[in-house]
Amino acid sequence: MIKETKPTVFVVDDDAAVRDSLRMLLKSVGLPVEVFESGQEFLDAERDDRPGCLVLDIRMPGMSGLELQVKLNERHSILPIIFITGHGDVPMAVEAMQAGAVDFIQKPFRDQDLLDRINQGLEKDAGSRRMLAERNMIRKRLESLTPREREVLDLVVAGKANKVIAGDLNLSQRTVEIHRARVMEKMEAHSLAHLVRMVLEVERPDE
Amino acid sequence: MANSTRTRRASNKSGQDSRSAVAESEFRALLDAAVDAIIVIDHRGLIEEFSLAAERIFGYPAEEVVGRNVTVLMPEPFQGEHDRYMDNYALTGEQRIIGVGREVRARRKDGSSFPCDLAVGRVGGREPPRFVGIIRDITQRKLAEELLRRSESELRLAQELANLGNYVVHLDGSEPDYFSPQLYRILGNEVGTEIVQLSDYFEQWVHPADVDRLRDAFRDMDETQGSLDVEYRVLLRDGSTKHLHHIAQTVYDAAGQPARHIGTMHDVTDRRHAEDEARQLQDRLTHFARLSTMGEMAAGLAHEINQPLSAIATYAQACQRMMKLPDHDPADVLGALQQINSQALRAGEVIRRLRNFVKNREVTREPVDCARLLEDLRTLAETDARLHNVWLRIESEGELPTVYADPIQLQQVILNLVRNAIDAMADVPEHRREVVLSTRQTEDGEVEITVADHGTGLAPEATEHLFSAFFTTKSGGTGLGLAISRSIVRAHGGRLWHTPNEGSGARFHFTLPVASAANGE
Repeated sequence: MIKETKPTVFVVDDDAAVRDSLRMLLKSVGLPVEVFESGQEFLDAERDDRPGCLVLDIRMPGMSGLELQVKLNERHSILPIIFITGHGDVPMAVEAMQAGAVDFIQKPFRDQDLLDRINQGLEKDAGSRRMLAERNMIRKRLESLTPREREVLDLVVAGKANKVIAGDLNLSQRTVEIHRARVMEKMEAHSLAHLVRMVLEVERPDE
Repeated sequence: MANSTRTRRASNKSGQDSRSAVAESEFRALLDAAVDAIIVIDHRGLIEEFSLAAERIFGYPAEEVVGRNVTVLMPEPFQGEHDRYMDNYALTGEQRIIGVGREVRARRKDGSSFPCDLAVGRVGGREPPRFVGIIRDITQRKLAEELLRRSESELRLAQELANLGNYVVHLDGSEPDYFSPQLYRILGNEVGTEIVQLSDYFEQWVHPADVDRLRDAFRDMDETQGSLDVEYRVLLRDGSTKHLHHIAQTVYDAAGQPARHIGTMHDVTDRRHAEDEARQLQDRLTHFARLSTMGEMAAGLAHEINQPLSAIATYAQACQRMMKLPDHDPADVLGALQQINSQALRAGEVIRRLRNFVKNREVTREPVDCARLLEDLRTLAETDARLHNVWLRIESEGELPTVYADPIQLQQVILNLVRNAIDAMADVPEHRREVVLSTRQTEDGEVEITVADHGTGLAPEATEHLFSAFFTTKSGGTGLGLAISRSIVRAHGGRLWHTPNEGSGARFHFTLPVASAANGE
């Protein structure tokens, strides 16, 4: 529905054989895949914020998987991360989950388990990208409003009736109705409820 | 002094003597010239003549004893015995002493007694008979004999205590060969029962495995006219084995011909057994330390084996999926299969190295190529490093020589140092966790191996006990690692020490002597 780039699975693992076998597996199911041998190499790569998900080895010399996760979070990356862990790495996996990882999978793993998690990750990524795109769209629409229209909108969202708004803004009720119609039109809102939802979407406290 | 003798003897003149003056003066000269004391007594035992030497030996002037019974010159119990001898001789004519000589004790004027040889003769042709006694003071000889006897017994005791025997073999046959009693005992023979012939020695006594070595040592001794110093085993008649330390030398005569072969054999069996036990204990401890190092590394090793296993599983699953695709490239499948093969070998290699490392085995000395050693070590060391998110760098400076060593023990030392370095960096941020394992050849030609970390370094109170057994700063440590590492390095003729690292952390170094052509073969 938005600009159609095929999502890519990024693999970061310092072990050449593990990396290569993952590349081959993902290729066999028709998923575009790019492999990296270190966290730094991944950070340095020009990914242009392409959609996809990250399959990340939790243990690596130099920058560990967890450290890469921290760095990606600092960069506000939304790339879903699936960690590959060893047998004794449960505490690290818990830490990774708390820091927002999609899931983790222990080596050696069944290919379907990994593919399921990757699909889950890709869906999550598509979802977040959709949401982000929508927010951007809403913000653009909001920016197209005149200051007066914005004032009217805020009071509408606050649940005030036209009459009250007219009083608050010292306008005629008729003028308020015209502004309100312009707002609905510019925001492409189907209904009052839709309008409110859009405004709340971009003005959540965490945004 | 001669005058006093003359005076007293003149008084002794009886006048009935028919001897001529010439004979008399000759007899006197003889009497006074003798070194031994000469005393003449009559049949009652009364002293008639007392020579100059007698005066000197007994401390009596002649005039004090002439006319007195000779028993005055004898300590008890000889006095009583003498009277009985005289009575007995008078009655039966039985000679107990005359012409025989015996060793008796005599008494000086001051009451002290001394050992002497006594010879008694009867002056013939006269009745009643007179007797002449010749007395030799043998105090010095007895003393020398006693000293000799004592030193012999002391030597025997010393040989017994030291379990050391000696021998002299006369190669020219000029004298009988000598073998000390302790030598017989060491070889399990009754003293004096059997002479050990050198020619039989190799065949009959020496342990077959040591015969060639001993023959070589003898040949070297002969060729260089030097000495022999060799340790070997002998097999005794009772089937037991002894370790002997044999030192020997050949003595040459003026013509340069071998004359005598002298040597000592030291029974060092007990010492060797104690050494063997100590070494076995050390070996067991070393092995134990190796096992505990492995225990500490178990998680890392599991990871190291898990890596190829998961690669294998993933390759295999990829193959299955690829082959279901109608347009799959067989080359891809083939590549994956090759990878599966090499990853299986990789896992096997980890296990092989692990088994080698923990196996309880004889300690060896063999030529070890340093570069090869580091390569063998890399897997185990990197495994541990990876587990702790430590970056391990291995640096070799130039061509590395060959050392003469036990390769597994060397790996143990290096792994132990690497492990310590890794543990020292537990609280260091991950990007700074680096261990550098470097090797170089020193100016002295030794190989120096250094393990450097950027950890917390060594607290002064820790450095003091660093190499003591059971001293540890780690919660799960045995405290054996460094103590054993140092003893391993020392056993290889090297040194182990530490210095602070530039910036932070510690560096542990050890050296190994390079194998020379002589011991490298």
